Amino acid sequence: MRRPPANPSAGVSRNSALVTIIIIGILLLLAALIALSPTHAYGAGDEPGEEPTPVPTSWISPEIYEPVLPANPLLADKGAAKYWAVCMACHGDRGQGLTDEWRQRGFGEDMDCWQSKCHGNNHPPEGFRLVRVVPPAIGPSTLRRFTTAVELHDYLLAKMPWWNPGSLTSEEAWELTAFLLREDNLYPRDLEFNPQEAGSIPVHLPYHPQTGERAGQWVLFGTLGLAAILLFAGYTKNAFRAKADPKSAFAMTDAKPASVPEDDAQSIPAPATANPAPRAVEAKTASARPNFLHHLHPPTIPLPQARWRYTLGTGGLAVFLCLLLGVTGTLEMFFYIPTPEQAGSSIQVITFLVPFGGLVRGLHFWAAQALVVVSAIHLLRILFTGAYIPPRRFNFLLGLALFVLALMFDFTGYVLRWDEGIRWALMVGTNLLKTIPWIGNQLYSAVIGGVKPGLATLTRFYTWHIFGLTLIMGVILVWHLFRVRRDGGISAPPPELRSDPRRITRYELVQREVLAMLVASLVLILVSLWLPAPLAPPIQDTPIIALSEVRAPWFFLWIQQLLRYGNAFWMGVAIPLAVLAVLVAIPYIFPRLPDEQRGRWFPPAGRVVQVIGALIALGWLALTLLELVTKTP
Amino acid sequence: MNPLNEMPEGLSPKTSRRDFLKLATRGLLYFSGLLGLAGLLRFLNYQPDPPPPKRFEVGLATDYPLNSRTLVPAIPAVVIHDRNGYSALSLVCSHLGCTVEIKPDDYVCPCHGSRYDLSGNVTHGPASSPLPPLRLELTKDGRLVVYKD
Repeated sequence: MRRPPANPSAGVSRNSALVTIIIIGILLLLAALIALSPTHAYGAGDEPGEEPTPVPTSWISPEIYEPVLPANPLLADKGAAKYWAVCMACHGDRGQGLTDEWRQRGFGEDMDCWQSKCHGNNHPPEGFRLVRVVPPAIGPSTLRRFTTAVELHDYLLAKMPWWNPGSLTSEEAWELTAFLLREDNLYPRDLEFNPQEAGSIPVHLPYHPQTGERAGQWVLFGTLGLAAILLFAGYTKNAFRAKADPKSAFAMTDAKPASVPEDDAQSIPAPATANPAPRAVEAKTASARPNFLHHLHPPTIPLPQARWRYTLGTGGLAVFLCLLLGVTGTLEMFFYIPTPEQAGSSIQVITFLVPFGGLVRGLHFWAAQALVVVSAIHLLRILFTGAYIPPRRFNFLLGLALFVLALMFDFTGYVLRWDEGIRWALMVGTNLLKTIPWIGNQLYSAVIGGVKPGLATLTRFYTWHIFGLTLIMGVILVWHLFRVRRDGGISAPPPELRSDPRRITRYELVQREVLAMLVASLVLILVSLWLPAPLAPPIQDTPIIALSEVRAPWFFLWIQQLLRYGNAFWMGVAIPLAVLAVLVAIPYIFPRLPDEQRGRWFPPAGRVVQVIGALIALGWLALTLLELVTKTP
Repeated sequence: MNPLNEMPEGLSPKTSRRDFLKLATRGLLYFSGLLGLAGLLRFLNYQPDPPPPKRFEVGLATDYPLNSRTLVPAIPAVVIHDRNGYSALSLVCSHLGCTVEIKPDDYVCPCHGSRYDLSGNVTHGPASSPLPPLRLELTKDGRLVVYKD
């Protein structure tokens, strides 16, 4: 029993809003706790309903009765009638397929379908040749190529009936979908099938309506949205204006980045000549021991450093996405089972059955995709503004390492789905390793843990994804953040802004960050609710998805396209590594910018680098688009 | 560190309105945190494994001779056949759930030394309640079925 929580936005506009909010919050929490009934996957099995009144038919054995619609037929009841009329002849009265037993029982002396007059070689115009094997349609091991009811519906609509594909209406396809799932006892017989929800109705797991979860997701969305609006309304732009000489210690210049002592004013007493305004803020925190978060958020920073139009906020956004990925990934680990037999089905359990599991998985997937995009924009911003020159050169390299790690995270995470969608990407991606001269084979077995992908492969990808890469990325990420401050702050302002004495407080900086996080969360929740993370049937012994439909993950489509042009090693390994090498070399080949050009978009002295960056980005885009339109014959 | 506390004072004539917004924002953020916790509890409360079986078929009644006590490890239980007929006793120690051992004239828990007599009553602590009897049925074709709970 799940009760949808009430709308939390009520009463916020009133004066006693905070009290109201807290009371509503406690009530909602109680409601949520009451609704906390243990739910589990089993128990959807159901006794068959009353038998409909039998009506013998003429064209088929008189023992096979046409189902009679009840007074208020559900979608599945109509589907039963449709199945009887359209599907049963080939798929059997119990969905068993065209078995000997069914041909014997259903057609008597006409049981040899392939020789009888309708389906023989010289069949009449209304007849047709029959396939040799007609698969079962009902039963636990059937319909294995489908994951959700939408896929089953779309398949029925496009491919069935076999002798006249496309002749079903969408409504009829929904009726048949509802019928087939009900025959597999996936939902109670008296429950109406809702095509609106079909995207979250599994084909191989019991279905239960997640109305409570959906309400909870929207309440969370509304709360975060309201918080973002209020935060924006109360956003303080209280930049400090220094009354003293702008060239005092507080007018931080980029020329002396790491050595300015006031940055660590919590531990070092501020100089006596210091401007009184910032010190008032420092005094409040003077007693607290400075920690890493304080290091990242000094009491004040120069206003021109944090120009959104210059930094785009992509670095902070990437950090937030990493945190979100850590949290949602941990939640997924509670249910994910890293074995070839159970990986695919445990992901289906998370997606379809666990309360809020679909949201968690959607957030993890979309945050991972967003991380690639946001990091790429971050990298382009650095290239286009010349921010890679010393003293930030080393941090540029750390950033590149983080970008490569993010791609490795995405690929290993993609493989963890262990479903038919990843079969060929895993095959191609790991076989590319073999093409590397001398060390290729060792590298391959080090990654795969065997001669072909299997249990050891999944264990290794799981370990890398969950722990190995996380360990490396955690260290480099913290180092990257630490270096930002050491190298002179968020960004180096242009010369004419360096004398600007205005500074923003830690309070405002955190306000900006929280606002950005809220907006990012809202966007990700919305996308996750509209577009569920992709899922294919668990890997089976024989591939069931046509190879021509197979694509690499989108951020590797460019490599898939490159591979069409020639030698696998040069196209698939050497060129991507060369691109990386070019990026690494940039700050060493072009380590200088004239001072007056720093802190701006597209400084003229950095043209070569800008062109290289643009070429890489456009090349990536062009190859990706080409691959998207390429049709394998 | 709670940065939202660190707002400088007295900078704006609209301080009270701003204070209200600040409080409301913080309230909403805490509330969404609570929502997240409630959701987390529901998320973790899902049981992916099927519930354990409640019904155990333990074979033909004739396989249990008169005046015998037979261990059925899968339940775990002991099936007793005496002059009163067939009965079954749970072997889960009522103290902390260890499986008690069948001894010649009583039952002994190997974990903490609780002892039960042949009808399941505690003769020695630390257990305080007896071994619960289990429902046992004899089917028409002479098979025994033991029910847990």
